[in-house]
Amino acid sequence: MQTLIEIFSPDFLLRNSVYASLLAGLACPLVGIWLVLRRLVFLGVALPQIASAGVAFALSVHVWMGHLDVSHGEEQRALAFIGSVGFTVLAILWLAWLERRGRGLGEGRLGTAYVLATAISILLLAKCPVAERGWLNLLKGEIIAISNPDLVLTGIAMATVLVMLWRFHKEFLLVSFDRELAVTLGRNVGGWDLLLFGLIGSTVAVAVLSVGPLIAFGFLLIPPLIARHFARSMRQLALGASLLGGITALAGFVLAYCWDLPVGPTDVALLGVIYALTAAAKGLIAGRTVPN
Amino acid sequence: MSAEPIVILDHVTAGYGQRAVLRDLCLQLPRGSFTALLGGNGSGKTTLLKTMAGLLPPLAGTVTYRPVDGQPPVIGYVPQREALDPLFLLSGFEVALMGTYGRVRPGRRVPAHECEFVWQCLRLTGADGFATQPFTQLSGGQKQRVLIARALASRPRLMLLDEPIAGIDQPAVETIMDTLSTLHREWGLTVVLVTHNLAAVRPYVDRVLVLRRGALYEGTRQDLAAPEKLARLFDFSLE
Repeated sequence: MQTLIEIFSPDFLLRNSVYASLLAGLACPLVGIWLVLRRLVFLGVALPQIASAGVAFALSVHVWMGHLDVSHGEEQRALAFIGSVGFTVLAILWLAWLERRGRGLGEGRLGTAYVLATAISILLLAKCPVAERGWLNLLKGEIIAISNPDLVLTGIAMATVLVMLWRFHKEFLLVSFDRELAVTLGRNVGGWDLLLFGLIGSTVAVAVLSVGPLIAFGFLLIPPLIARHFARSMRQLALGASLLGGITALAGFVLAYCWDLPVGPTDVALLGVIYALTAAAKGLIAGRTVPN
Repeated sequence: MSAEPIVILDHVTAGYGQRAVLRDLCLQLPRGSFTALLGGNGSGKTTLLKTMAGLLPPLAGTVTYRPVDGQPPVIGYVPQREALDPLFLLSGFEVALMGTYGRVRPGRRVPAHECEFVWQCLRLTGADGFATQPFTQLSGGQKQRVLIARALASRPRLMLLDEPIAGIDQPAVETIMDTLSTLHREWGLTVVLVTHNLAAVRPYVDRVLVLRRGALYEGTRQDLAAPEKLARLFDFSLE
């Protein structure tokens, strides 16, 4: 309790990191639900990696153009933001276009995008050690250096995404659950898909910059999977996943602070433990309710 | 029944990607008719139904919809039950409510009178008693009744159903066919349903289309009166 009071005190040095972590914990699962429901878990793996590759690209180009110092916080983060959003949006458009053509294997495309993004990041940074330092600072997932403007930007971006998801829930549900019905009702299925993927991509791009790819991916996917064990409706799924994400983000931060651990891996490990426990609990409940 | 067509297929070639499944089909579907679309596995029944529904653009030829009351006909499409993903945690009512989404502007809530209309549709199909239960936990026949209610909620003039009675026990088949027959009669709906089971639908339909080896055979009332000939020609079971 003492630690909680300390963490939420206005003088706490890492106050912004707590808020950023909480924002990611509350918002990412609400976006991740759509990845789970549309069976696009691989997209949730690939997008953070693509966003990271975008950051590596932006920082490397900056260094190659003669700017040898990428340690200036504001400039570095602005570049990283452009790289992250740019790569993510381009990747979403490219994947959506391939999906629309309907050729090849969807999972294969996402897997290829993931390994290509990883390879591009490594190759770029191998040739540009200066950029590598900046990239590591941004993405190692310790979320210890988040400025006020970054926090505000993250908050605005996540709030915008959540308002859009809430407002157009009906349309996203229709095109995700039954595309054929959507077509016969005259809905622009491609347009709604693009908007949904755009919102998912924006969340990933912002979350990767604020909290790193590891936490972004963890919070996108694991809370919806846990909540699905017990939810009986879409509303319960959304509320359960978001609450679970928020509570885990806070608990993970407290644990990491007390035991001097990196926050990202602590959060994800905690989610993994909860997932295992809830799966076991569900198995037990199901076993007890099987009729003799 | 009026002989005015509601859908006209003019030399249509239909298929997926560049692969044609059906070639050069011509068909006029009379308004107010109740048609069974028959054929063996892989004969192209679903392809033809989806082409009529506007879900598959024809690879060649044209599909024309004749206006009803000055408007293009609204199509109520009932997919195969298995096509809907069980991951979605939706009740039967929430699934049926989707039928109204074509009339509600994006970003707006479904108004109360539309919700009441959906309950009416659920009552008509006998699905109101289990509509609050999770859709995935309903039996095959119950799901089918919810999906028919959803199609009705779109206020259709043409109803296209893909295998609505496949894998359902006999009492449920009779309930579904009775419901469709009532809707056809009382709402003046044009109905086309895909099935393997001529025996089950024969008392209800007034027209039969048979697909075999890419060719479309339009059966007559005489064919329906003596289905043994159709069964012999096209290898159907009348059991």
